[in-house]
Order: sequence, then C-alpha cells, then structure tokens
Amino acid sequence: MHLYYFRESARSIRQHRALATTAIVVLTAALALTGLFMLLTYNAERALELMGDRREMIVYLRDDLSPSDRDLLMGRLHDLYGFTTYVSKEQAWDEMRQQVGDPTLLEAVQDNPLPASIRIKLKPALLAPDSMEAAAREVAKFPEVEDVRYGAEWVRRLDELGAGLRLGTLGVGVIVAIAVVFVLYNTIRLTVLARRQQVEVMSRLGATDRFIAWPFVLEAMTEAAFAALLALGAVFGVQRALATRLIGLEFLPPVWALAFVGAAVALAWFAAWWALSRVLRAVGP
Amino acid sequence: MITFDRVSKRHGERLVLDSISWRMDEGECVVFLGHSGAGKTTILRLISHETQPTEGTVTVGTFASGRLPRRHRALLRRTLGVVYEDFRLLHDRSVFENVALPVRVAGRFANEEVIPRAMFALEEVGLQDKHHAYPHELSAGERQKAAIARAIVNRPAVILADEPTGALEKKSAREVLDLLKRIHAEGAALLLVTTRAEVAEALPARVLYLDDGKLVGSDPAAAPGAGAPGAGEDPAGPEVAGDAGSRAATVP
Repeated sequence: MHLYYFRESARSIRQHRALATTAIVVLTAALALTGLFMLLTYNAERALELMGDRREMIVYLRDDLSPSDRDLLMGRLHDLYGFTTYVSKEQAWDEMRQQVGDPTLLEAVQDNPLPASIRIKLKPALLAPDSMEAAAREVAKFPEVEDVRYGAEWVRRLDELGAGLRLGTLGVGVIVAIAVVFVLYNTIRLTVLARRQQVEVMSRLGATDRFIAWPFVLEAMTEAAFAALLALGAVFGVQRALATRLIGLEFLPPVWALAFVGAAVALAWFAAWWALSRVLRAVGP
Repeated sequence: MITFDRVSKRHGERLVLDSISWRMDEGECVVFLGHSGAGKTTILRLISHETQPTEGTVTVGTFASGRLPRRHRALLRRTLGVVYEDFRLLHDRSVFENVALPVRVAGRFANEEVIPRAMFALEEVGLQDKHHAYPHELSAGERQKAAIARAIVNRPAVILADEPTGALEKKSAREVLDLLKRIHAEGAALLLVTTRAEVAEALPARVLYLDDGKLVGSDPAAAPGAGAPGAGEDPAGPEVAGDAGSRAATVP
C-alpha cells in the first residue's frame, strides 16, 4: 500500500488528537467489557471441560455375575460407549470409607452392601445429556446390569451453564460490536467533516473516493487496534489481580487475543468504509 | 475539446445559464467576461462535473454531461488544472506537498517521480526556493503561483482559471497573468473567467461575454460546420472580441 496513505493517516490523527483520543478511550472501554466476558467464558469453558472429562457412567453389576461374563460385558461396553474400568465390591467399600472419613459411622454396617460396578468414561460423542440418557437406557437393558447412574440432572445443568455463558458472551460481543461500529462511524464522519476543505480540494483534483478514503480507513483501523491492545492490557490486569484469589484463572490464549484484535480492526474497517461511502458523497463536490 | 450545446442551468427558480452554446479547441485561450452572477463560475463547475446542466449537453474531451460514475468523474478532473480566486491550497501542508498532491492523485507515477515533477512545476512558477513554506507564510501572489503550479504539475490539456487575479494587488496580478500567458504559449488550453476587462486584454484570448446567464452574441466556433478557431483565426460576430493576442476585449 502507498506510503502516502499511512503518512496522511498519521497526520490526521495528529491534527485531530482530541477526537482520536476520545474514540480510543470509548473503544477501549467497550472492548474491555468484551474482553472481560471472553476471559470469563474462556475460564468457565476450561472448567467445564475439566468437569466434562470427569463425566462418567457407572454401571452397577448383578452380584451373581461371573468374572468371564463381567469381562465379556466390559469388552462390549468398551466398544460401544468408551473406556471402562472395573470397580470391585471391595474397592467400592474402600472408596466409601475414604469419602466418609469417620470409620465409626460405618461400624454398624455388617456386610459390604455395595455392588461391583463398571465405570465408563464416555466417548466425546456421547457427552451431551440426551446422548448420555439414551446410552444409559441401552446399557440398562443388558441382563448383567443391575442399575445405571450418570448424574442426569448434573450433566444437564453443566451443559446449560456452558451454553448460557457462550450466549452471554455472544450477546455482549454483538452489542459491543454495534457500539464499536457506531463510535467509529461517527468519529470518521466528524474527522471527514473537519477536513471538508481537504476532501473537496482532493475531489476537484481528480482523486477517487478510494484515494480520499484510505487514510481515514487506516486511521480508524489504527485507533481500533490501539484500543483493542489497551483493552487486552486492562483484561490482563484484571486477570493478574484475580489470579491470586481464583486459582487456575488463566489469561486468554494468544489465538483468542489475536482474534480479539483482528475482530476490532475488521469492525473498524467496516465502520470506516460505511461512514465514508455516505459522507464522501455529501462532502465531495 | 470543450463543447456547450444549448446548455441551461437553473438553481431553483433562478436561471443561471440560458441556453448557451460555445466551443473551445485544443491549445485555445478563451476568456469569459461578465459581471458578478453572470454565470461564469457555473460554466467552470459544469466543465468539471461539479454540477449538471438542467438542459443541453456539456462535452469535455470524451466525457459528456450526465451522471458519470464517480470514478470516471475523477478521471475527467485529472485532465483539467483548476486555479481558484481563493487559491484553495491546503493550509496544513507545505507548498511542495500541495503541488505534489495531484501527482499522487493521478496514481500514474512512482514515489521517486513525485519530487522532480512537483519541483519542476514550482520552478516554472518561480517558487522553487519556497517549497518548504506553508501557504500562510506566502504572499497572496505567491499563493496563487503555488496554486498554478498545482494546476500544471500533471500537464493537463486545459487550465480552468476562476478569477485568478481577483484577490491580488496589481503587481502580483500582472505576474500571475504573465505566468498563465506563458503556460498557454507552451501549449495548454486556457479557459479563464473574470469580471475585469483588463484581465481579458492582457491575454491572447478569444473573449466571450456573459450577461445574466446569456452569451451576448454567439460563439462562431460553436456554429454548425465551424472549424476550430485557433490562434490567428478571426472569429466573426460583433459581440465576440478578437483572437489570440490581436485585440483587446471590451465589455459591451
């Protein structure tokens, strides 16, 4: 691209410092809000993924099941639903004792009442609540199976929480995108009107709309990029401040940060061309 | 090169130009003389497609009036060099940058060609030593010379000058007119509009009189079958004064 456009863009920002600063401050505030929601969503998704990894189905086995039948069943469940682990009655009792903590509470229990079970770490395709429910119904039909548990309500709530967060971020993202376009549209409009004489002279000299517009478009893109970087800085500051209290709170990964800046610049590009396509027709003779 | 065929222009109720026909050929010098509000500037605005005729046709080279795409309008304007009474220099950039602007706008030249072209134009108007100056640091005459350098930097086929000496004192006005005369002698067509008879007298021009939007008399060059009245040709008609350099124009 012509060096001239960059020089003109820098000149315009220098000459309309107050307008550029106002635009950058407003954009930074709007983008920081989106950045905070992105931070929240990213960390919530990470947490949900971790929890999702622990989603498992517990298949309680009949007491009279022979080891060979058990192995056969494990093989079939492994092929159909995911990674299987056998938990014997004794292991289940040990786990329970550990969870309860106080051994006197279990003294009244004479025999181990807990059944042996197979834990299935489900395939990714079966992690959705509906798929899990369907799989549980199928597994329950096996004659070797006494009962199936998978925490249906918990899984459903977890998914609803994830969907809600994504929707919230999307909603805030859309509102902020509209605000960014609105702010830049008006900033560029005001900048062009402030440089009306220049635009008129250029138009009379035979400049195309594209030639006149590019410096303004670059100006908007520069302001948006600068505001996006400042917003990321603010989000980083918030993450650092909260990281000591919320263990595991991580900053946005580089791809997210780049996409954030890229989206802001793309919105600026769109807003600037939109503003210029309207204002140049009004200003240019 | 430029033809007006029964062109009328109305601004609301007011008739600014009333069915005027005239033509101008390559290398010609034409002066429109008339009082304020006679429609002179409208003629220039019609040529540069800043406005459209209400009736009739304006043809500039291969461009005819009507709704041109903005891209084509830009191309048309690059074939013109325009000098305004109020100079219309950009105050936030130096004389050099003002003069270099049309070269950049044309987009035909590499960056390294911009400087010699602009400097050459500044040399032609005698402002090479002031290329770093800003318009507010120049006298009115120098500002107009800078505007002329900007108009000629791309070697346009025709220079349009709208009362170029209107804001200048006598000495500067004479220098500017001498400069325009020299540029015309070097081959550029010159179309100048003015209210001052002495400006028309100072140029080797065919003078057309405008009065309240009407061409006083007719332009023989625009008559059917008329050839191009180049320098030395003697245009007929009592109200249309002389050809290049041979006679002084007077307001009728």
